[in-house]
Amino acid sequence: MDFSFSDEQRMFRETVYRFAREEIAPLCEEADLKSEFSFDVWRKLGEMGLLGLPIPEEYGGQGADIVTCCLAGEAVGHAGVDGGHTLAWGAHTYLCAANIMQNGTDVQKKKYLPKLASGEWIGCMGLTEPGCGSDAAALTTSAVKKGDKYILNGSKTFITNAPLAQVFVIFATLDKSKKHTGITTFIVEKDFPGISTGKPMHKMGCRTSATSEVFFEDCEVPAENCLGGEGLGWMIALGGVEWDRSTLLAPFVGGGIFMLENCARYANQRWAFNRPIRNFQSIQNRIADMKVYLEASKLAVYRVAASKDSGMFLNPLYAGVSKMYMGDKGFEMSSAAVDLFGGYGYIHEYPVERGMRDAKLGQLGGGTSDIMRMIVARIMMM
Amino acid sequence: MNFELNNTQKDLQNTMAAFCHTEILPGAASLDTSPQDQIAVVLKTNMKKLGNAGYLNLLLEDDLISQCVAGEEVAKACPATFITTMSTATAFGIPLKKFGTPSQREKCLSAIVMGDYIGGLACTEFDAGSDMNGFKTFAERKGDRWVLSGYKYLVTNAPIADALLVLAWTDREAGLEKGLSFFILEKGAKGISVSQPMETMGLRGALVSEMIFEKCELEADALLGGEAGRGYGQFMQVMEYIKLALSAMSVGLGVACMENSTRYAKSRSAFGKPIGLFEGVGAKLAIMFTYNDLGRMMTYRAAWAMEQQDPESPVLTSCAKLFTSEAVNEIADLAMQVHGGHGYLKGSTVERLYRDARYAVIAYGTSEMQRAFIARDSLDRFKPA
Repeated sequence: MDFSFSDEQRMFRETVYRFAREEIAPLCEEADLKSEFSFDVWRKLGEMGLLGLPIPEEYGGQGADIVTCCLAGEAVGHAGVDGGHTLAWGAHTYLCAANIMQNGTDVQKKKYLPKLASGEWIGCMGLTEPGCGSDAAALTTSAVKKGDKYILNGSKTFITNAPLAQVFVIFATLDKSKKHTGITTFIVEKDFPGISTGKPMHKMGCRTSATSEVFFEDCEVPAENCLGGEGLGWMIALGGVEWDRSTLLAPFVGGGIFMLENCARYANQRWAFNRPIRNFQSIQNRIADMKVYLEASKLAVYRVAASKDSGMFLNPLYAGVSKMYMGDKGFEMSSAAVDLFGGYGYIHEYPVERGMRDAKLGQLGGGTSDIMRMIVARIMMM
Repeated sequence: MNFELNNTQKDLQNTMAAFCHTEILPGAASLDTSPQDQIAVVLKTNMKKLGNAGYLNLLLEDDLISQCVAGEEVAKACPATFITTMSTATAFGIPLKKFGTPSQREKCLSAIVMGDYIGGLACTEFDAGSDMNGFKTFAERKGDRWVLSGYKYLVTNAPIADALLVLAWTDREAGLEKGLSFFILEKGAKGISVSQPMETMGLRGALVSEMIFEKCELEADALLGGEAGRGYGQFMQVMEYIKLALSAMSVGLGVACMENSTRYAKSRSAFGKPIGLFEGVGAKLAIMFTYNDLGRMMTYRAAWAMEQQDPESPVLTSCAKLFTSEAVNEIADLAMQVHGGHGYLKGSTVERLYRDARYAVIAYGTSEMQRAFIARDSLDRFKPA
């Protein structure tokens, strides 16, 4: 066993952290208040090379390993960048670009990856539909081959980045009666005829990421934009889970560190009954529980990342454990942070209020905690 | 970065699992219910078996991750046996090995390794545990000898020990860091009385007594390391090994709860299907798995930090101890629920494990103490200048 990061990884994390703290975090509070995606934030993420982090250099990315990607996510969260912008980054880089990187043809990669890696194009991924989420095999968006085109009909919802995206990785079914094996993935561009997006949704947290529905009305997709091959969509969706359970969770680890540091600072500074509140045991208990949560979370996230880096197949138990623990315990801890700040915790200007709203997504997005428990239990009962 | 055990560690895991399953597990239930004189016989046999299997030797070596790997298997089979070995090899053997003079080490370490020697650590008193300032036991120099007076409480292994390490003041005025010392107290020394084993809620197979020292005269060589005033520093170092061992124990106990529950959830049917296929029961199994899995990783992480002499390791061992001990109590509670009425019966495995688990959040620093320590570390990093 070796729980250490390489010197290069550590230095990279430090560089990203400093940059994000000085250049990006100051933009986030106002953006969150207005529920607006900030293109300034986006450009700065791009400047640091973060938007194409895992993409090979020949396609304009950094060619980083997954542990490094997670460290970058952790660093940006730690710096105080809000969950909306880290979510937008995650959906773009991992759910869209890395998906094309792993499953695309050389032509597809050359066409899409450089502009995604630079951030010039924004990407998104669409699996969830109004009538199905975790039960993804029940999706109804249809694709029909017609000559050298596929015609897509249906709708997607809760699609992060959709209102801003140029590139959509979309899951549809060629034959609903085939269930999993009918599902096929397509790269759809914003300018293809028949695709449109809804109004950005007003969300509880992660407000700066733009989320909307996506509609397909006889949307024409060139045959060469089928990603990975007909009927392989389900495998592609499962392959995405590894990214979801590592790189998309890493900013939550960083957000947790940010929360703990803010709580520790506040507990030292705020006085009550002639002493700093850090002297009260109920305050200490929250700090200690946050620290324990963070140590466990780091192990959960980096284990998935390191296993992917070493080329092993994803252990679905480890993936489920990460998501469930970080989602549930993370939200509990974010609520404890609000409690620790008292009335100030309830006010927008203080960072823990936003943190609590953002943390709620951890229990919902990418498979709810309930679903994680069902997956783990199903394997245990085999 | 690598989160996998190496092949030697994986082999050890398999060997210990098989060994404990056949040699230790079958006696676990009777250790809980037997009269205390019979318990002593079984414990000594188990010690001998584990000595022969190389486990006690492993506990005195430097590969801490392997200790956790093997310890989990012993605890999974029989938590009471685990506590007896831990009190001997970790709580008594490690300080002897690290701080003892050559003659002190010679006297007992090789016998411990063979499973022929039982030791223990006597620190806690009736009125003081974590607040060591409240200890009353003291030793006075008399010529080249020491005279020990006082009282120790909840001393694991005391009824069967060949020797115990006793923490006592040698200079009350010098304060904690310079005033405490460890003494090696051998069985049968004049002036010691050991009570009948105390009745405990769980871990009934581990024997615990109170002890009285009445002007107990000790040779100069009884002072650990031959130098007075080092007891506190020695204790703090040993605590790191103990917190780690207890973390491995909690994981082992948690896995035992989980495996029993999973087996039961597969074999028991209701409304036409195994109860584990109902979401309510399945979710409990999943939570058990999650806590065991993450707790094990935290234990290995802390062990690794100790091996690397990472200055953060005391916080990490406390995080591991806190996480795993609180987790195993929740797990044991879920296990009882999965077993329904069957779990509530005396003689059911999960009922025994439920009682055993309670020990983990109390011993060697309660959860309250662990939280206070962990929090202080985080808070001090953000103290205003």
